[in-house]
Amino acid sequence: MNENTSGKKALSMALLIVGFVLMLAALYFDITKNYAGLGAMRGMFLVLGALMVLAGIYFIPTVLHHRAIINFIFLFPLIFTFIVTVIIPMFVGIFYSFTDWNGVFYTKMVGIENYQAMFKDPAFMWSLLITVLFVIVNMIMVNLVAFLLALLCTTKLKGVGFFRAAYFLPNLIGGIVLGYIWQFIFSNVLTKILNSPHSALATTKTAFIAIIVVYVWQYAGYIMLIYINGLATVPKDVLEAAQIDGASDIATLFKIKIPMIAATFTICTFLTLTSAFKQFDVNLALTNGGGTVRGFMGKRLSNGTQMIALNIYNTAFARDQYGYAQAKAILFFIILACVSLLQVRISNKREVEM
Amino acid sequence: MKKYLAIFLVLTMFVALLPTAAFAADDGIILFNGKIEIANALQHAAEVYEQATGKHVEVNSLGGGVDLQSELKQRYQAGNMPDIFTCEGTPDFSNWTGMMVDMADQPWAADTEAEFIDSTGATVGFPYTTEAIGLAYNKSILDKAGIDPASITGPESMKAAFEKLDSMKDELGIKAVIGYCANSKELYWSTGNHLFCNYLDAGLARDDSTYFDLMMKEGKLDEQRFADFAAMVDLFNKYSDPALLVSGNYDLQVSGFAAGNYAFVTQGSWIGASLTDQYKELYAAAGNFECGMIPYAFEEGIDTILTNPPSHWAVYKEGKVDEALAFLQWLAGPDGQQIMVQEAGLNSPFKSCTVVANDPFAPTIADFTARGKTSSWHFLDQPANMAEDFIGGIFQDFAMGAIDINGFIEDMTVTIPDAVNQ
Repeated sequence: MNENTSGKKALSMALLIVGFVLMLAALYFDITKNYAGLGAMRGMFLVLGALMVLAGIYFIPTVLHHRAIINFIFLFPLIFTFIVTVIIPMFVGIFYSFTDWNGVFYTKMVGIENYQAMFKDPAFMWSLLITVLFVIVNMIMVNLVAFLLALLCTTKLKGVGFFRAAYFLPNLIGGIVLGYIWQFIFSNVLTKILNSPHSALATTKTAFIAIIVVYVWQYAGYIMLIYINGLATVPKDVLEAAQIDGASDIATLFKIKIPMIAATFTICTFLTLTSAFKQFDVNLALTNGGGTVRGFMGKRLSNGTQMIALNIYNTAFARDQYGYAQAKAILFFIILACVSLLQVRISNKREVEM
Repeated sequence: MKKYLAIFLVLTMFVALLPTAAFAADDGIILFNGKIEIANALQHAAEVYEQATGKHVEVNSLGGGVDLQSELKQRYQAGNMPDIFTCEGTPDFSNWTGMMVDMADQPWAADTEAEFIDSTGATVGFPYTTEAIGLAYNKSILDKAGIDPASITGPESMKAAFEKLDSMKDELGIKAVIGYCANSKELYWSTGNHLFCNYLDAGLARDDSTYFDLMMKEGKLDEQRFADFAAMVDLFNKYSDPALLVSGNYDLQVSGFAAGNYAFVTQGSWIGASLTDQYKELYAAAGNFECGMIPYAFEEGIDTILTNPPSHWAVYKEGKVDEALAFLQWLAGPDGQQIMVQEAGLNSPFKSCTVVANDPFAPTIADFTARGKTSSWHFLDQPANMAEDFIGGIFQDFAMGAIDINGFIEDMTVTIPDAVNQ
């Protein structure tokens, strides 16, 4: 027993030391830009070193902490990936929002100038405003349409399966493709049918309505599926009891079904809310944010239908103001985080009450 | 025991991987081309060059709706910067200040006037082509209507020609006099950059940037000149194809011109390659008509078309500089020009080049260039988003009748300062 422990200890130490040496060597080659000879294998050194260190940790002879070590080793790949791809970029992003970064380099720190500028920027404020408007309208429309479709698809109609699939289908088409399909419909088909001189996408108001139509069309089927699931969970005995008591269909719907699936409503509201806030692809493909707005904060704007995500994208990629776009993105993040937290809190409360 | 075996196998696997890592091949230089239309010809040039010199050149072509600069930035951040890359105008070049090689000492630099020189006087851009912006026309339609393009020298003669063509639409078999599209989502770059730059530059000497400076420094438009320009746009709105004007797109516009549906089209010389390649069936069915350009003569006396390189190639300082420069020099020489001009259909910016392109617009450009009747364009130096975020939409509003000519002038007057002072 003792021998075994000491053997393990030696193995563990050896692995740890060699592992760290390999990793340090890799770092050394990278920092000194020594890419020739052994330096060409620095990536291999790094990976091998990391694996050896992990193995070394695994072989540490301890009974007390063994479980903790196993937990750590199993969680490590995920946590590491999460930190590298989410946490670090987020902090780098926050840092960049205080600079005049153009995507390649930054020349100076600008403090909170970017944050001040966005509240004085009529185009951005307009984007914020119509995004909120879009979210509210969509939350209502998508849920209403989806719920009605769900009711329709849970009745004993013939071919319900077909309808379910048909309503869900638009959700399987990517937003960009969908945007171009609908652009064709608005520009080439509807203009001919309605005999109008120009497409609905040409003026801000009609283009905004067009985006809502397309979005509801795309998203209602998905939400419908969730409602169908919710409606299926309503216990049959309760419905039967209501029937025996002589409740009308309307009364059953409002007094039994809807209260029974309150949790589903919360989930769906939450889903539509966040996804509408992040609306980007349909917006890009359908109007690219175009549309004239007159007299907003005393300016004439050309971004009548530009949602906030597209506005951020354009600020970075069309205007090369990556730092400024980063600041906008952080505001966007804060808004989304607040909305999500609020939603979660509300839904938790309600579920407890039930 | 099993455990050790597993570890041993893992180690073997990694050792087996070592040679690939150690001997990662050095694969020649990378050229990042932003003009997708010439991708095949450029690939061919690279192959010919490899045969002649044994040096490999990898051509990465991107184009269409791709934002080249953001793609480049991604590659830069990934440590994967191409050795030669495309930049359009001052804003693009200023992204890479201090990272580009000064090529003033290269032999080709003495052979051209179209190189890009940055604010410090360094020659950082290699010109691979020149393009022209003018009012493109279909010569066979004008001939049939008995209109001499050279007789269109000002607003009155242009209006008269448009009216005459409009009255003969059925005889000529055309849909509309002009293929003009102001859809701001699809063609903001055409109206906001290419058409608008005629207000800025048409008729001026090549080194004259009066109206551009007035716009950029004071945010102002010249009232009389812009009113004349607006009257021309009004004329285009009136005589364009209604199906194209607000809801059309670039493909409809160019294919319509190729098919002989329009006597004029508001696109530049780059559509020549589309006529002979992408739409060659339509173009052949319309009789492979002769093309030409006239100046956008919105004022009497405007007699120039605009010619410039649409973009330049820069050489990355940290890359394989010598090999990249050698390749560019070869491209500028007779062997390279042979391919660039004849296969890619480019207009050579080099004086020593004797190869003549078979592009439909090559003769007209050569003619204007020989007579010294060209102006340079400056729209590449205006804020990059000016057309998309500011003025493109005004052209569309005007086209769909949401505003009249006075509204157009007024909207432009109040929007230009916002665009240049963002």
